[in-house]
Amino acid sequence: MTSPAPSPDDVGDAIAAASWFAAVGEPWTAADQSEAESYTHALQLGMLRIAIAHDWHDAARITQDPGWSRTWWDIEEHQRQDLTLAAERQVGRHALMTALSAVMAAAGDLVHGKAALAAARAGIADPTLTRVAAGAAAMACHQLALSTIAQASESHPFRIKFRLFAAGRWPLCAVGDAMYVF
Amino acid sequence: MSEAEPIVVKTVAELKDAPEEFREAVAKLVISHAINELYGAQVFDEPAIALAPTPYAKWLTCRVAMEEYGHHVRFKQLGEQIGIPEGRMMPSDSKRPLSIFEFPLKTWEEFVTIKLLADLAEILQVEDLLHCAFHPLRNLARATMPEERFHAQFGEDFAAELVKTPEGKARLQDAINRYFPYLPAFFGGSKSRNNEIFRKWNIKLRTNDDMRADFLNRAREVTAKYGLSLPEYQEAA
Repeated sequence: MTSPAPSPDDVGDAIAAASWFAAVGEPWTAADQSEAESYTHALQLGMLRIAIAHDWHDAARITQDPGWSRTWWDIEEHQRQDLTLAAERQVGRHALMTALSAVMAAAGDLVHGKAALAAARAGIADPTLTRVAAGAAAMACHQLALSTIAQASESHPFRIKFRLFAAGRWPLCAVGDAMYVF
Repeated sequence: MSEAEPIVVKTVAELKDAPEEFREAVAKLVISHAINELYGAQVFDEPAIALAPTPYAKWLTCRVAMEEYGHHVRFKQLGEQIGIPEGRMMPSDSKRPLSIFEFPLKTWEEFVTIKLLADLAEILQVEDLLHCAFHPLRNLARATMPEERFHAQFGEDFAAELVKTPEGKARLQDAINRYFPYLPAFFGGSKSRNNEIFRKWNIKLRTNDDMRADFLNRAREVTAKYGLSLPEYQEAA
């Protein structure tokens, strides 16, 4: 039996229900490991080990590492472009842009607030870093909305990435032979 | 110009009882801010995500783009409350964008320059509304200001990074040399009739020339802080 296709309303609900940044810095679990591995496999990034950022300073350092993988970013960008075309075919360009704008308007301040709260709980008062986290989360919301409207499967990398965020983690980036998650 | 009786309009509802000239002046400002914020997000901030050198910078730029878009939404909402049709607050073929938005963004250094200098210019514009006689617009300026300051700080932070190497500093100076000439005109003409009306009603405080002069001083200061300079600026006769 197949489940009904998710709607943009489901995206709003998923964003509202997510445990944004609640588990960053917390002990790593087998479920986190499995989800992170699924994410790298879905992106077809080859054999990357999963590595953990231990705190907000670590996350800031990793995301500014000059050796970060542009391939990882480019693959996500290609996925985003493919989904945009697929979603436009499904609902038309204007409806897609309207839906994406609505999702982003709802998500923007929510994820920024959650990032600031999580950072503050860890003793971090860095408005730049919390905006970086909020930008990453907002991008994941955009990607989730696209994958939902384009009716991509649950194994699409953007769906998996969002599940990591929803579980309170922050998937960072690939550096060298590792995919870093906070 | 005759002196107007100073008035303060505390709510959107009170605006309908204000003199027509006051209402039109407020509408012009709201439209201008709504359009400029959207242009900024669309022609600079969103494309800059691809140019940003690290995931950290990309996500930060994404957040900044969302904040600029959020400013557009806030001004547009105020515009709708005071009866401006939505279409007048969106860029259109019939409305030529300000020259500062005609700069073709191609490099990260150009974007850093825009944040460093164009957002400083935007700060001055918003600062001038902090004591606006139309309080809903004053309040909106107050809400917007912390984010505008952060965006200019973004420019400073990445400028500080770039000037650490001679190559980075040269690329940034080159971007400043090419972009800066667009900026002085952002403050409008010396004999602007609109500015005269804004000041008459205490909607704005300063003349365009005062603001331009202040901007030039502050822009010189901030560029000098990083060992950079502004190209020669020839004031219009």
